[in-house]
Amino acid sequence: MRRNNTFRVVLITLALVWSGYQLYPTFMTTRFKDQADGHLNKISQTSGLSIDDLNNALRQGRLEQQLKAALANRSEALPVALEEAQKLITLDDKIAKHEPRAIKRGLDLQGGSYLVFEVDLAKMVRDLAKNKDAKFEEVLRAVEAKAKAPNVDFFDVLVQEIASAQVRLSRYWGNRSQEDGQIVEDLKKNATDSVDRNLEILRNRIDQFGVSEPSITRQGDRRIVVELAGITDVGRAKNIIGKTAQLKFSLVREPEITNDVIVKINAAMKRARAGSRNDSAQAAEAAPVDTTQEAKVRNDEEVSVSELFPGSTSADSGEPASDSTVLVDRELLEENPFSALIGALGPDIGVPEKNVRAVERVLHSPEVRNVVPADAEFLWSNKAEQLADTKYYRLYLVKREAELTGTNLTDARANIGSGGRVSRQGEWEVSMEMNSEGAKTFSVVTGANVNKRLAILLDDKIVTAPNINERIPNGRAVIHGAMDAEEAGDLAIVLRAGALQAPMQIIEERTVGPSLGRDSIEKGQNSAIIGFVIVVAFMLFYYRLSGLIANLALLLNVIIVFAALAQFKATLTLPGIAGIILTFGMAVDANVLIFERIREELRGGKTVKAAIDAGYDRAFWTIFDANLTNALTAMVLLQFGTGPVKGFAITLLFGIAVSMFTAIVFTRVIYDWMTSRRVMTSLSI
Amino acid sequence: MVQFFRETHIDFMQKRKYAILASAILILIGIASLIIKGGPKYSIDFLGGTEIHVQFQQPQDPGAVREALAALGYGDAEIKQFGGREDFLIRVQQQEIGTQISDNILAALQKAFPSDPGEMRSVESVGPKIGRELRSASVWATLISLFLILIYVSFRFEFIFAVGAVVALFHDVMVTLGIFSLLNLEVNLAVVAAFLTLVGYSLNDTIVIFDRIRENLKLRRRDNLQIAEIINLSINQTLSRTILTSLTVFFVVVVLFLFGGQVIHNFSFCMLIGVIAGSYSTIFIAATLVVEWYKKHHLAKIKQRSAVAVR
Repeated sequence: MRRNNTFRVVLITLALVWSGYQLYPTFMTTRFKDQADGHLNKISQTSGLSIDDLNNALRQGRLEQQLKAALANRSEALPVALEEAQKLITLDDKIAKHEPRAIKRGLDLQGGSYLVFEVDLAKMVRDLAKNKDAKFEEVLRAVEAKAKAPNVDFFDVLVQEIASAQVRLSRYWGNRSQEDGQIVEDLKKNATDSVDRNLEILRNRIDQFGVSEPSITRQGDRRIVVELAGITDVGRAKNIIGKTAQLKFSLVREPEITNDVIVKINAAMKRARAGSRNDSAQAAEAAPVDTTQEAKVRNDEEVSVSELFPGSTSADSGEPASDSTVLVDRELLEENPFSALIGALGPDIGVPEKNVRAVERVLHSPEVRNVVPADAEFLWSNKAEQLADTKYYRLYLVKREAELTGTNLTDARANIGSGGRVSRQGEWEVSMEMNSEGAKTFSVVTGANVNKRLAILLDDKIVTAPNINERIPNGRAVIHGAMDAEEAGDLAIVLRAGALQAPMQIIEERTVGPSLGRDSIEKGQNSAIIGFVIVVAFMLFYYRLSGLIANLALLLNVIIVFAALAQFKATLTLPGIAGIILTFGMAVDANVLIFERIREELRGGKTVKAAIDAGYDRAFWTIFDANLTNALTAMVLLQFGTGPVKGFAITLLFGIAVSMFTAIVFTRVIYDWMTSRRVMTSLSI
Repeated sequence: MVQFFRETHIDFMQKRKYAILASAILILIGIASLIIKGGPKYSIDFLGGTEIHVQFQQPQDPGAVREALAALGYGDAEIKQFGGREDFLIRVQQQEIGTQISDNILAALQKAFPSDPGEMRSVESVGPKIGRELRSASVWATLISLFLILIYVSFRFEFIFAVGAVVALFHDVMVTLGIFSLLNLEVNLAVVAAFLTLVGYSLNDTIVIFDRIRENLKLRRRDNLQIAEIINLSINQTLSRTILTSLTVFFVVVVLFLFGGQVIHNFSFCMLIGVIAGSYSTIFIAATLVVEWYKKHHLAKIKQRSAVAVR
């Protein structure tokens, strides 16, 4: 009896046509991209501009202007570069046409960064709190510690801790008439809304930063996943994207007050040190530190942290071993232990980088917290300054209450300083403009505090703290703080895009450099070719003509899998390529099963045609069961995996599914065609 | 016709005691190693931390790299040199500062080796919370897939077959995990993916033999064959397929291992062990369990059961 194969042949033909249609854009994109790379390299060589810069210019449509500017005084190179640029632009248009339908390469193959941001809930509720007393800080620290455990909800912990501290939530958030449950709901809603708002701000920042096709998606309630393909300077990108960019203007406390506080800290520390040594000696009146003098030569020497904080072991501080020494001024250590850690840097307090942690620890200790005025806090400068062979951070005592925040900004631009102090001329700065409300407040604040210093804070770090020389009526302010062009530009971007609604932190980063990506593609390609050749050769050797049929089926399988990747817009990753290679081995299994069955039947004395029929019939359910269970685990993998692993699961799944079609339907049609032409007495198997 | 195996008549079931002993010893050694080393050697995927792969132009001295890091306070960083001595893997477990670490380290290297600052090949940074989440997700993924298999196989075959299959899979995972621990290899996300894949692969093998056993149970009922004989026959009949498929898969996995590169090295090694363990466990663990179970029950009951074996 002849089987009617018309339907099967139509199906196979359709599959081939569809595959060609799906794979054409990928083929064209790859070809054009190779050509474009060649032109890019040439332009980069003639113009001396980096590939990154050229790509950026191309994307923003100002490649020709850029080249004209760069080669202004090298007129001989310009025509060549422009001609190449013209070709590049034409190619780029072609690529843009095909690329959306081409198979997407994962970040691990093209290089790039995968970043997961999470709303920093502890910081968020702290920012929202209307009243931050000692108990509040205590509760929040406990919450932070407990919320680190997996599968713990931050807000559940918060409610528990607040309850065990026997206070009501309304003491810190919401208003008195609200129930605790309502306040928690509001806080949760705030977190969720913030994620939405942050998503927009991130998109805005990334667009300005100039990344092609960034992917910014929300994950769950509190997370945002950002995927940036092809960027090279990840550190800079992270800085722009992740920065909360909370801008504040706060008054610096007068030097007399600051000195007074330092004296008190010295006394408190001395008492604590004496107390822990079981020494009953009374703390002597400490001498004030003259912070107005120029950085003096310190008699610095390295002292272990345990000497500084007797009675506490470094084990409970959780600090790394390498931070166990600090630079102290021996002469001052006994009488003024805090002054021994710090020095003077112009009019400010300068702290050697090595001492920063120790100073932080002093400032956070309960004895010291009591002597710092409640309306002020110590904050650090955002950058270290090199002085002789040591790096210093500045430490300021500023008013807790900000005079003005960045919400009133309307614009921010990076430019080279012109006016103002002569020493700042030619330096990069960021000038800001405020709306009328902001300008009014700014005018009042500056008017009332002439000759005091106004600190400009970015995320609670002090960028600069200039003196207020006069009232500033027009709502214009300038940030300068030893920035280069890039830093100034980046700062302007984040200020323009606005502060994040809630602070976020990066909780996961996976970055692949462009060179590793290229290597991975090459290694993946090589392994795929070698793997394919070995399997094909083996099948041919073992099964001869039938092996050839199985090999054709395998080839068809690979083509269809790639077409499916394009159709479903799946991403090809390195593990994905591994999955395809693995399916080479597994896909032929179906044919091995069938062929072994046919051989058995032939040995049993059946005719070729009957043996083929029986072989396919008997092997079918085995193949089905085996592949289905295989697909089950691949599906679990798809659910569980992130990025690259997902790519693996997808290709494996496609490979298995397609092999059911190619190994069974396609090979059967060929056998039927062979047996229909003439009566076969033997089969090459 | 090329044929590696003509009709074989190997008595696998008679050798099952030795096989089980060998498996038990291997697994026990693996477990001992796991206990001594305090569990599997997790990568930063599960522990949290930062790992940076840097490639220099010239071979560099690990001591100099360490010095550069120590100046930054990362003296306790784990530094591994590989490839042609130009490649370094720097790992820091310290977590508080988050992803700043990688930028700091790269900057420090730039300062310490100004003429050959080293190229960033990859950075992976995982927060401690994410690490714990991934760990529990991995365990769940493995358990869920084993559970799904248990359900599917008991639906398609008999429950005892499903138990045999799952025990065999568990065996494969334990053996691989043990060998990873013995060789001090790291378990990362890709390795977990490899575990799941080899679970699927090993199962594929098991199903093929179970299928044959089921078929033979129906056919040979009248011949009054012992279950051990039926299983022996089934294994022998499918032996050449088992070997052939194992070979093709083994070939491609070896190719991946040799040519796939550093990124998927542990993944392909895991698959390599898994393919061997998978083929072995199908014959000696899954089938053995079925035989043992049948022997403990009445013969009459067996016959009834096998008569109504599904489908």
